[in-house]
Amino acid sequence: MGTDLWGTTAIVGVGETDYVRGSDRHVCDLILDAAMEAITDAGLKPADINGIIPPPGYMSAEEIAAHLGVPDVAYHVSVLMGGASPTASLQTAAMAIAGGLADNVLVCMGWNGYSALRPKPDARPTKRVMNLGPMGETVRNHYAPYGLMSAAQHYSLYLRRYVDTFGIPEDAAAAVAIACRNHAQLNSKALMRGTPLSRADYDAAPFIAEPLRKFDCCVETDCATAVVVTSLGRARDLVHPAVVYLGGAEGHPEPADEIANRANLLELGIHRAAPRAFARAGVSPHDIDVLEIYDCFTYVVLLQLEALGYAEPGGAPAFVADGNIELGGRFPLNTHGGLLSQGHCWGLNHVVEATRQLRGTADAQVTDAELALVTGYGDLGDGSVAILGRDR
Amino acid sequence: MSTYVPTPEWIVLDWHHACIAAELLCIQRCVGCGRWRHPPRRFCPACQSDQATFEPVTGGGSVLSFAVSHRSLDPGWQAHAPYATLLVELDEGPRLLAATTTPPGEIRIGQRLAVRTEALSEHFVLVWADPASHDEPASMAPRARGNA
Repeated sequence: MGTDLWGTTAIVGVGETDYVRGSDRHVCDLILDAAMEAITDAGLKPADINGIIPPPGYMSAEEIAAHLGVPDVAYHVSVLMGGASPTASLQTAAMAIAGGLADNVLVCMGWNGYSALRPKPDARPTKRVMNLGPMGETVRNHYAPYGLMSAAQHYSLYLRRYVDTFGIPEDAAAAVAIACRNHAQLNSKALMRGTPLSRADYDAAPFIAEPLRKFDCCVETDCATAVVVTSLGRARDLVHPAVVYLGGAEGHPEPADEIANRANLLELGIHRAAPRAFARAGVSPHDIDVLEIYDCFTYVVLLQLEALGYAEPGGAPAFVADGNIELGGRFPLNTHGGLLSQGHCWGLNHVVEATRQLRGTADAQVTDAELALVTGYGDLGDGSVAILGRDR
Repeated sequence: MSTYVPTPEWIVLDWHHACIAAELLCIQRCVGCGRWRHPPRRFCPACQSDQATFEPVTGGGSVLSFAVSHRSLDPGWQAHAPYATLLVELDEGPRLLAATTTPPGEIRIGQRLAVRTEALSEHFVLVWADPASHDEPASMAPRARGNA
């Protein structure tokens, strides 16, 4: 199945705004700026775009088309998997292109993740909100009444189980936080550039929701990103080297809409997505040169690395130790700084970074990077995977 | 300070109303195959029957996991930080979250619990759980409120 889908499309344009805490710009301006930058980066015009996947909330595909000047939207769809949405959107874009429904698909993400709760006094007000999707009802009815309102609290329900099951040491995830912060020092757009993180800083930080301390949690930011996907044939006529979408997948835990009644609390969507994605791309975990792993929380990175096959259950702390995930290590991870230190753009910033790595134009470039793996995670444990490769 | 109380709808509301009427924790049970399930669902995932009732449970269970929150967006909960929220596996099988009066440092995975309910409105009950005394089966523990 799908032999004419995988490896037949490519990312040809990327755009991203600055990552800031407190923007002077309206959330719609952020989204549209990144979208126009991605189209321009591809060497295309808005009229060339005829497929749109909008962010989960904030703006509709129809509005985005109208503001950009896209005259003929032949296909649009919304993907509602929380932080797993943008990476899952790549497979939807590829299907639309391979199926002949659209030629050039724009995937957008952007939000006022910092300012929504803390607007600047002079900020232009907005009533636009994220679409929480499936988790909204569960949080409202079953979690928030028990004092669990934030993602850190929801996920701590299974992170505690993870720590307890495998005897994970208290400092197991420090290497993830520090690697991301180190990489952010090299990234021109990273929010935390110029703010290094020492091990002493990490250890001294207070708990947010155990086992998550302050620096285990990503930075809420105002930002937007966008990518343009097209057929590999068209990509080869465009400005940049094509970055081929070799394979991808999504997966959902069972049940997906709540955490408590999963047979195994530690079996997440990515456990189902990962084998599908590797099989579709025809590569194995150890072929990958760059890992862009969804890092809303450090411990969630550990769980995903195990799900992807980089470590046995409980073995991720050893995998991330000893510089293995630092630039120059065997598996450089989140070379832009990730959600933890570049900024939180729902993982579409991971796709942007993976694209730059495979073009050879990243700020923290991995030498001879040929294969990159991106994950998305969110919505109480949904997962998505994308495997991207340099055109050969 | 009071905490957030939702106004449920649909079959979640039916569940709360059943608990309030019984003054006990009730859980949805399939008429077709007898399986317990939570949160409320339209069809039984095992036999697809759409016939279900809400029946009282024993109130016994154990800690499957728990969250310890040091920060809360809810001012009512923030006043109690750090506080634990328990993920309880009921003896009947289904799992749910429960508030607890037990300090976080005294909670262990696998600990036996006694569960009770507190109506916070005409349409919402909060589930509470605390360690069953003397490691007796929860159903043998002294009765507090509701099922315990």
